Amino acid sequence: MRRILTVFIALLTLSSALAQTKTVKGKVTDAETGETLPGVNVIVSGTTKGTTTDMDGGFSIDLGANETSLSFTFVGYKTNTVLVGDRTVVDVKLETDVQILEDVVVVGYGVQKKSDITGATGSVKGEELMRQPVLTATQAMQGKIAGVQIISSGQPGSSPQVRIRGVGTTFSGTNALYVVDGVLTDDISNINTADIVDMNVLKDASSAAIYGSRGANGVIIITTRKGTSGKLKISYNNNIGIRQAANLVQMANAAEYSNYVQAATGDAPPASLYNTDWYGAILRNAIEQSHNISLSGGTDKSTFLLNVGYLNDQGIVIDNTFKRLTIRMNDEYKINNILKFGLQSSYSNSVNQNGFNNLDIDAYGNIGSVYNDAYRSAPTIPSVVDGKYGNTSAYQNVGNPVLDIKDNDINVKENRLQGSTYLELKPTTWLTVKSSIGADWRNSLNRGYNYQFNNDNTTFVISGGNQYSSRSNLAVKNTQSFRWVWDNTATFSKKIDKSDFTFLIGATAEKFNLTSFSANRKDVPADQNLWYIGVGDANSSQNDGGGDAWARNSYLARLNYSYDGKYLITATIRRDGSSRLPSQNRWQSYPSVGVAWILSKEGFLQNQNLFDFLKIRASYGQVGNDQVSTNAYTNTVTQNKPYAFNGSVSPAVNGVQIDQIKDPNLTWERTGEYDLAVEFALLQSKLTGEVNYYDKKIENSLINKPLLTTWGYDLDHLILTNAASIQNKGLEVLLNWKDQINENWSYTIGANVTFNKNNVVALNGGEAIRGGGIGAAQGFTTLTDNGHPVGSFYVLKTIGVFNSSQEVIDYKNQDGTTIQPTAKPGDFKYFDKDDNGKIDDNDRVFAGSYQPVAYYGINIGVNYKKFDFSLSIYGNAGNKVYNGKKAVRVSGTDNIEKDLVYNRWTNANHTQSEPSANTGNQLASDYYVESGSFVRINNITLGYTLPASVLQRIKISSLRVYVTSQNLFTYKKYSGFTAELPGDPLNSGIELSAYPTTRTISAGLNIGF
Amino acid sequence: MKRTFLIRQALLYSLLSFFTVSCSDSFLDVPVQGGVTPASDPGLPLRLVTGVYSSLLQGDSWGNGDVHSFAFVSVTSIMSDDADKGSTGSDQAVPVGDIDNFTLTSTNKFCESLWNGHYNSIGAANIALEVLNDPSVDPEQRDILMGEMRFIRGYLYFNLVRMFGGVPLALRVPINAEDAKTDPAFNVRADTTAVYNSIAEDLQFAIDRLPLKAQAIKGHATKGAAQALLAKVCMYRGQWNKVFSLTDQVISSNQYSLLDDYATVWRQAGDNSNESLFEIQTGEFNNSNLNISNYTAPQGPRSGGKGGWNDLGWGFNDPSLSLINAYEPTDLRKEATIIFIDNSGTHKGTVLWDGFRVPSSDSVQNLYYNYKAYTSEAKEKYANPTDKDRPKNIKILRYADVLLMYAEAALHTGLGDADAKLNLVRDRAGLSPKSGITIDDVWQERHVELAMEHDRFWDIVRQGRAAQVMHDSGKANFEEGKHELLPIPNSQILLSNNQLEQNPNY
Repeated sequence: MRRILTVFIALLTLSSALAQTKTVKGKVTDAETGETLPGVNVIVSGTTKGTTTDMDGGFSIDLGANETSLSFTFVGYKTNTVLVGDRTVVDVKLETDVQILEDVVVVGYGVQKKSDITGATGSVKGEELMRQPVLTATQAMQGKIAGVQIISSGQPGSSPQVRIRGVGTTFSGTNALYVVDGVLTDDISNINTADIVDMNVLKDASSAAIYGSRGANGVIIITTRKGTSGKLKISYNNNIGIRQAANLVQMANAAEYSNYVQAATGDAPPASLYNTDWYGAILRNAIEQSHNISLSGGTDKSTFLLNVGYLNDQGIVIDNTFKRLTIRMNDEYKINNILKFGLQSSYSNSVNQNGFNNLDIDAYGNIGSVYNDAYRSAPTIPSVVDGKYGNTSAYQNVGNPVLDIKDNDINVKENRLQGSTYLELKPTTWLTVKSSIGADWRNSLNRGYNYQFNNDNTTFVISGGNQYSSRSNLAVKNTQSFRWVWDNTATFSKKIDKSDFTFLIGATAEKFNLTSFSANRKDVPADQNLWYIGVGDANSSQNDGGGDAWARNSYLARLNYSYDGKYLITATIRRDGSSRLPSQNRWQSYPSVGVAWILSKEGFLQNQNLFDFLKIRASYGQVGNDQVSTNAYTNTVTQNKPYAFNGSVSPAVNGVQIDQIKDPNLTWERTGEYDLAVEFALLQSKLTGEVNYYDKKIENSLINKPLLTTWGYDLDHLILTNAASIQNKGLEVLLNWKDQINENWSYTIGANVTFNKNNVVALNGGEAIRGGGIGAAQGFTTLTDNGHPVGSFYVLKTIGVFNSSQEVIDYKNQDGTTIQPTAKPGDFKYFDKDDNGKIDDNDRVFAGSYQPVAYYGINIGVNYKKFDFSLSIYGNAGNKVYNGKKAVRVSGTDNIEKDLVYNRWTNANHTQSEPSANTGNQLASDYYVESGSFVRINNITLGYTLPASVLQRIKISSLRVYVTSQNLFTYKKYSGFTAELPGDPLNSGIELSAYPTTRTISAGLNIGF
Repeated sequence: MKRTFLIRQALLYSLLSFFTVSCSDSFLDVPVQGGVTPASDPGLPLRLVTGVYSSLLQGDSWGNGDVHSFAFVSVTSIMSDDADKGSTGSDQAVPVGDIDNFTLTSTNKFCESLWNGHYNSIGAANIALEVLNDPSVDPEQRDILMGEMRFIRGYLYFNLVRMFGGVPLALRVPINAEDAKTDPAFNVRADTTAVYNSIAEDLQFAIDRLPLKAQAIKGHATKGAAQALLAKVCMYRGQWNKVFSLTDQVISSNQYSLLDDYATVWRQAGDNSNESLFEIQTGEFNNSNLNISNYTAPQGPRSGGKGGWNDLGWGFNDPSLSLINAYEPTDLRKEATIIFIDNSGTHKGTVLWDGFRVPSSDSVQNLYYNYKAYTSEAKEKYANPTDKDRPKNIKILRYADVLLMYAEAALHTGLGDADAKLNLVRDRAGLSPKSGITIDDVWQERHVELAMEHDRFWDIVRQGRAAQVMHDSGKANFEEGKHELLPIPNSQILLSNNQLEQNPNY
């Protein structure tokens, strides 16, 4: 039968091919209402030839030889392709498209129609991500999905931090899980954004529960592109631009500096001819570029895709670059009608120059210390004069920031192979069995070289100081890891009357291992071709090495049931086993259930014009977290704790210590989450949206609990244990408006906002956790305590500045004790909370946290004829940041911010908000706590697609040119570099040596052949 | 037919794969990579003992623990009348300046790191003592090793009681968290007497088991060290008869004598000499210095003014004028204790014992530095000589101290010959003998003989004249009844839910 049909179609095609050019006319109407549709695009299939319907929905178009079908597209309607045959009049009906809601969503071990989903998910399309000249897709996702907060430093090669629906743990395992074509990973810096079809985020516990213990921080599923059958497609995209620091802090110039230092210390700094702008000395306008070539195609038996990408990202700090080559091959083969085989594979090679800390070995050579030194260095010292460095360290014990960069060479190369292969068997219509094996192999080679140089006149303008390196040092480290995951699933689908069942069962196993080896030697010559360990002095050689391994094993099941397409229920369960937990706590089950009701399909909503789609859903699920180090519960003996029993002349005797107290009963963190939402489409689906409420509670949250040191030997006085409960409650609102005004104009406006309230509900054991220690006189700066968000700032409260000695004496507590007897006029007056007559840690108060009250994104797209324009805005509100770099000022010779020179308290200016000129060592107070709210134009892009008529002549099927800007403008209240400060929950939001936000302006083109 | 076959195949396949994936629970039994567990370490008891000695090198003064590092230097020396903070005015104004000026509070980081460092080592000693009970340990060896561990524990508590007064007496490893939380021993301060009794018990245990120096391996605690330390403990408690008999036993053991040259005592050549009873050992390991971090670098002479030389350190712990004035005119010990920076305007500089020339005062930050913390790049041996932080053995107990304790006890008890022992010490210092000596003579001799040796502050507190000495030397902030002790770290008080009581007036 099928064969006959094929022959018949072939004959038809043949007959039309023989026909001459003809004119086809017709009318396009709405399938439901019968109204005529003006402005519908009518295109001859397989060509770029086309027209649009007139005011009455009519059209007329010429068909050439071999042109057999027409395709009708119109915003808000489903595309309809019609075989013309030998007709000359073709009337077409278009069905309304609730396209957004009909999208297929990858939900983990399967796909589902978006409208059938009972949990909270959100997705971004690859082309939307591609528009932004950023390194990782994660960063491009910023502001696109409600409930997903992305905190990015912007440093080349860095990975942004993702927080889905608030902070759920105080331990470092807060990042979301990525699933790239089925391979579980925690880092996607190897994935070329151009490879991505879409990123889908499983936000709530009910949708993430299928990932059980891996889902506590949300799951981001990435699907990469595949080839499509048809003719070979070749495309090339590029982007080239310039990048610079977007917000710099204005430091005092030489005159202002001298004035301030004189006032603070009584001694003016030595007179100087120089006026150095240290940030100017270490920063540059950087060039960023990326190129992508893609080949794809296939037959009905097999498809293929080859994508090659190259990215070269200069850092804004001199000498810092990141380069990455990625190659992806995604192939799929239909062996026969029931068996399918597929492969997704990617290779990436990256080279990071001077972006890393010099392994763990040396203090110099990371961008952080460079920034810190640039903030502190005196403007009266030159940066470089005739090839010699200004000697900041001889004057003020701060390294010359330019030399901080030039005195070392740190190179990190990574090779990574990641992919998965699967075999899918579909023996009947109702059963699919799939087995897939994914693997991720990484190899990184870190090499750090520190040049030898003296603090004499050959290096510096004047000799002396502490910035020198008497012996060169070469350090290398090789790390290799391999992870495999084997998923086996069987999916049963059956439709009986109005009931639709899909039942999935599966089992997965996953194993990871890692080994590392490092070595270093001194006295390696400065020529780069000699930078090998064997060249160095063997008497200085040191080496180290270690490893890690863990395994997980899980069983999962999911039932999707829908009745009449209106009543939906999803139930999942996953049973997880993890080697990271002690055997008595090793296995745990994570259930979830979600229900939804599509009201718009009910009879009582059929006779209304408001809602095209209306759905309410509710779910509850549990997920877990086992992200602790593999030795977290096992007592281990720390090796190499020697003692020189034989004196200084012979090698020491080796010993050991048991220097960590472990919790032998460590168990899973458990998150339970309720989710309630309504999804809707209004006004011919021009307006779509979603309102989501969630309440998520994490029990047994893993925390590093401080220990009394008298309890026993624990080097860091912290024990990792399950002792906290944390709650996140929030509301997400998502609205999208999409309209086509006429044939030339169409636009979309999307907005999303998330309100989140984070709260520590209980610290079992009672001890609040201190964090954010930043040295100097500051001590700790955050406290995680009951009733407050995780990592809340906890500092003294300033209540003004003393104007006179008398005011100092008069500032007394109730008992008449002078509270700050050693204070001088111009010093801060602190609030004595406990009224005990002295200022100490007991007087600290809560002063907000880094966790925003709300974060939001606005995304606008406009198309006019061949022009496209898009604008995306991202912001957060209601959080605080701690100006740590300002707070750690410990020396009277450190430079200061320009504002302080003019706004400070003086005898003439009795300001109550700034202290007098001082030498630093200020206490941790709300003076350093500033608003973290900001709004930013994340991306603005203008593109132009060249008309097909022009392109046809040069054998190009499509060509678009565009200009774009990333982070064009940021409005923030914070006085520092950036209010976006990634960090672990207890220490986040403290700006010590942050990489400033960068602004990129670039142009590019997309060509298809 | 064909279809049924395929279905069966598929089911078989899927069942097979499920089975394979779930093969067994042992899949999840992944041992810790690179993590030696107590069970898998056969030489554990002996190696743990070495680890306890190693913990005495803790030098994370601004962090997790300090036993003999910068924080120790600060509270034993900089705080006393022997030395000033030094360096530049604002350098380490917090926490060191606060210690020097008695403006310190309970959040002083150095006080906290000392408390934590000492309890770290005590915890390590308690673990070793527990593991030494293992039947696999040779009984004879066990006795000695346990003696060493209790010597170290006693020494650490002696430091703690002198710094903080009564402290929690953690003498065992808690069984579990509940035990640690509920047993007051781990959470509440014992009174001073109880702490002293425990120290005396530990040291007596050590005296009964440890060998004489001649039979012991270098660096290990010995019977003589335990006797001398117990003598010192008894001296702080005013038990003069015991002081006398213990010091007398040490002297008559014939294991110890004074070195001919005083200056050698604190050089590498004087390490583990006949004069030494107990010292913290440093050396080399893994091609690097094995030292107390932040001991020599903080105390090294610091470049200043015109600079232009590779200085030796940060310039802290500078001998004070009151120390300089304490020496008799011909005392050899003065030049051996203090590096005097050339301030004559002749730019001769100061040439040290190994030939190293420190420039004159216009290129140096301060005028006086601690010679006893000086290390010689030219004449001494280090794995990594270019590092300013070098190995330096800290002489905790030496024979001169024993002789002076004997003399003081002799005066109190009327036993023995106080003059003779004191004059042994004076003789080496190039001073004429004294006769009919008084307690004040002994105290004066202790001051200059043990200057900059981490003894002075505790000594004047013991002598009950701390306030007077401090005020005389210009430290007006010293409050009697408060500053004899350091504040209990506020962080620990909070963690104990205020079960730990603060010292008076803090």
